[in-house]
Amino acid sequence: MKTVFVNPERCIGCRQCEFACAVEHALSRDAAAAVFESPPPRSRIHVMPGRAYNTSFPNRCRHCNPAPCQQVCPTAAITRDTEHDLVLSDAHRCIACAMCAMVCPFDAITFHEKANGMPARVVALKCDGCIERTTAGRLPACVEACKTGGLVYGELNELIAEGRAQEASVVLTSAAAGESLSARPPENVTGWRTWGATATELNEGVHHGRH
Amino acid sequence: MAGTEKVSQLSSCNDARAMIVRAREEGIETVWDRLAAQEPQCGYCALGVSCRNCSMGPCRVDPFGEGPQKGVCGADADIIVARNLGRTIAAGAAAHSDHGRDILEVFGELAEGTTSGYELRDTTKLKALAEEWGIEVDGRDSQEIALELADAMMEDYGSRKSRLGFSDRLPEQRQELWEKLGITPRGIDRENVEMLHRTHMGVDNDYVNTLLHGLRTSLSDGWGGSMVATELSDVMFGTPKPNISKVNLGALRAECVNIALHGHNPLLSDVIMQAAEDPELVALAKEKGAEGINLVGLCCTGNELQMRKGIPMAGNHLMQELVILTGALDAMVVDYQCIMPAVTDVAKCFHTEVISTADKAKFTGATHISFDPHRGYEIARQIVRTGIEAYANRNPDRVRIPEGTVEMMAGFSVEAILGALGGTPEPLVEAIKAGKIRGAVGVVGCNNPKVQQDLGHVTLTKRLIENDILVLVTGCSAVANGKAGLMMPAAADMAGPGLKEVCEALGIPPVLHMGSCVDNTRILTLAAALARYLGTDIDKLPLAGAAPEWYSEKAVSIGAYVVASGIYTVLGVQPAIFGSPNVVNLLAAGLDDVVGAKFAVEADPEKAALLIRRHIEAKREGLGLPFVETGEIETAAA
Repeated sequence: MKTVFVNPERCIGCRQCEFACAVEHALSRDAAAAVFESPPPRSRIHVMPGRAYNTSFPNRCRHCNPAPCQQVCPTAAITRDTEHDLVLSDAHRCIACAMCAMVCPFDAITFHEKANGMPARVVALKCDGCIERTTAGRLPACVEACKTGGLVYGELNELIAEGRAQEASVVLTSAAAGESLSARPPENVTGWRTWGATATELNEGVHHGRH
Repeated sequence: MAGTEKVSQLSSCNDARAMIVRAREEGIETVWDRLAAQEPQCGYCALGVSCRNCSMGPCRVDPFGEGPQKGVCGADADIIVARNLGRTIAAGAAAHSDHGRDILEVFGELAEGTTSGYELRDTTKLKALAEEWGIEVDGRDSQEIALELADAMMEDYGSRKSRLGFSDRLPEQRQELWEKLGITPRGIDRENVEMLHRTHMGVDNDYVNTLLHGLRTSLSDGWGGSMVATELSDVMFGTPKPNISKVNLGALRAECVNIALHGHNPLLSDVIMQAAEDPELVALAKEKGAEGINLVGLCCTGNELQMRKGIPMAGNHLMQELVILTGALDAMVVDYQCIMPAVTDVAKCFHTEVISTADKAKFTGATHISFDPHRGYEIARQIVRTGIEAYANRNPDRVRIPEGTVEMMAGFSVEAILGALGGTPEPLVEAIKAGKIRGAVGVVGCNNPKVQQDLGHVTLTKRLIENDILVLVTGCSAVANGKAGLMMPAAADMAGPGLKEVCEALGIPPVLHMGSCVDNTRILTLAAALARYLGTDIDKLPLAGAAPEWYSEKAVSIGAYVVASGIYTVLGVQPAIFGSPNVVNLLAAGLDDVVGAKFAVEADPEKAALLIRRHIEAKREGLGLPFVETGEIETAAA
């Protein structure tokens, strides 16, 4: 099963995946033209800030199976494409009741105007896995935009195994060298994140016993 | 994540908290809401590894090391970070130096006799400056001297010189070091322009070389443009002397027409002070039902007025929207720098008139009254009249001024400090030698909504004075410490025993207000005078700088000129350099071997205080003075 896999520790909050997703779902599919479209194209991926400064997570539909959104959709607007293992929403059938959003474990479905060649109306918008791109052998737009490896596309178990191999290597190296696991990210990123954590704790009064 | 958390996490000031609560109740957006909406902020930009200097780009380097490591042109993280930092310094230096130029031009026109509302208030300082610049003073009148001084200073802005007129204030050792390193600033505008040139694609591709020019650029601000601004403002508006005034939003008076003077340049605000006392305008205010006209300061325009005239201070950077939320501000007169475009949006929710005055700083939604020094008084009257007319639209039911003010002392120019010491730095030097005062630290810089307002300034300052370190403040830090009650002579009780004794003997607070952010040059001048008095270089002295809550490009220029002048500096907010470990290592370590000072970044003011105390004791050891082993300096039992 191929999917978009998230390495949250690699996300640096640039939100270029959001921009690329919105452009991919614009009528023009062109960044310069997309900003003039009405209704404006919307991203299906949302980069959310963490509790501390300088932390973030790109949240998108996980294409669950079975998918709670599909199970509760009263008009069968949400269906599963079994060939690509994607959960898709048909704007023509959507009645914007938001049942799907209520049961979504990841709050990944949003409601915005969509034109579809007809008068614009508010419908459920969700990730379609960039099905057109992937069938043409291209990467999903969000993955293509991500330059840090925060979003990667591939066979799920292979991606998990890759992470597992890295962890094993770090664990063994660390055990041998007597270093802590936290030394894993590059120094520059660690410094940046440490500042964010310290500033956030300071504002929250953690160091001063005040709340 | 600002916006979702408790109000107490956003600001440590009660007056600010009350107004943030009001903003939330009334659905009025403020800086903290906008920060929350921006989060997460772009990591490439925060790490300094994005470059949009040319249209082969924009490019960015993956800080995790696997994605692209070079821009299209081939620039790596080191080059991109250095380019960005260089341009940041140039922008900050340009802001200060252009402010200095505006003062200088009016000074020149005043000397020509074509201005209205200005005079040469401190002719003693004028003559001292003229002598420093090698201008004949004997048998010449002030205007004649001023005319020649203005010409000489204007030359410093160009490219006909190889060094700046104020360079001789520096110890010879420092002048020689800069010569050796090739970072002696040659002309004020020149270094900024050259930095823009160097950071164009395909020019300076050696990050060390770029950053050295960054230091030279900043020095053209600190020992050039900013120093021109400070010194000539003193000549035209008076050299500050210690005075007591008050601070916080309670400085607004429900019964008066309230006019806030916001920005950085004292050129206009000084004339507005005169207009606010114009009998005709006072009568007009009374006719409209007010008891009088109340002027309050914001940011560094406020500092300039508080230093010289004791005008009460409404607040620092993060108070600029909140002051409108009192519902009692009739006009906000702005000049330039640090004025959020958002003030006109907040003002729309009230009767407040935002009046822009600089042709180079216009605001959509503001009334523009163009400042012209030839008609200074007439324009000032027009501005005050506009404020009085706005007062007539005030809704008394919407007035909510947080109660109470705090007294604070301001006005510590170098002249005033030396005056308090009896005309010579000797008593200060002796107190430092004896260890009563361990050293001195400039706690300066802005507010930043990423840091709980004023927490960094006040915590750091308290820890330093508790440990017998004299603190010199400017800008937003001065307001923060004033509000915290640290800037009255009685605050000597909060200082360590040695500093307390010295403060009580001189009748001064342990935290001295030295002015606006261009007035950081007063700290430079004082540091250089101490070094010359001791026959040593500035980097040998037990001094440090800190900017716990900095946000602006100007602050980056200040930090760079302070370090290049030989003073260790601790930043509370991360600069956008962490994408290049090489640049970080250079600024946080390598620079020490180059200019005798370096940067540190520490968000926690408790830890920043430890870094500074250890640094000061190490410098004391270097001078052969009694010192404490750095290993013995641990966290205070806070």
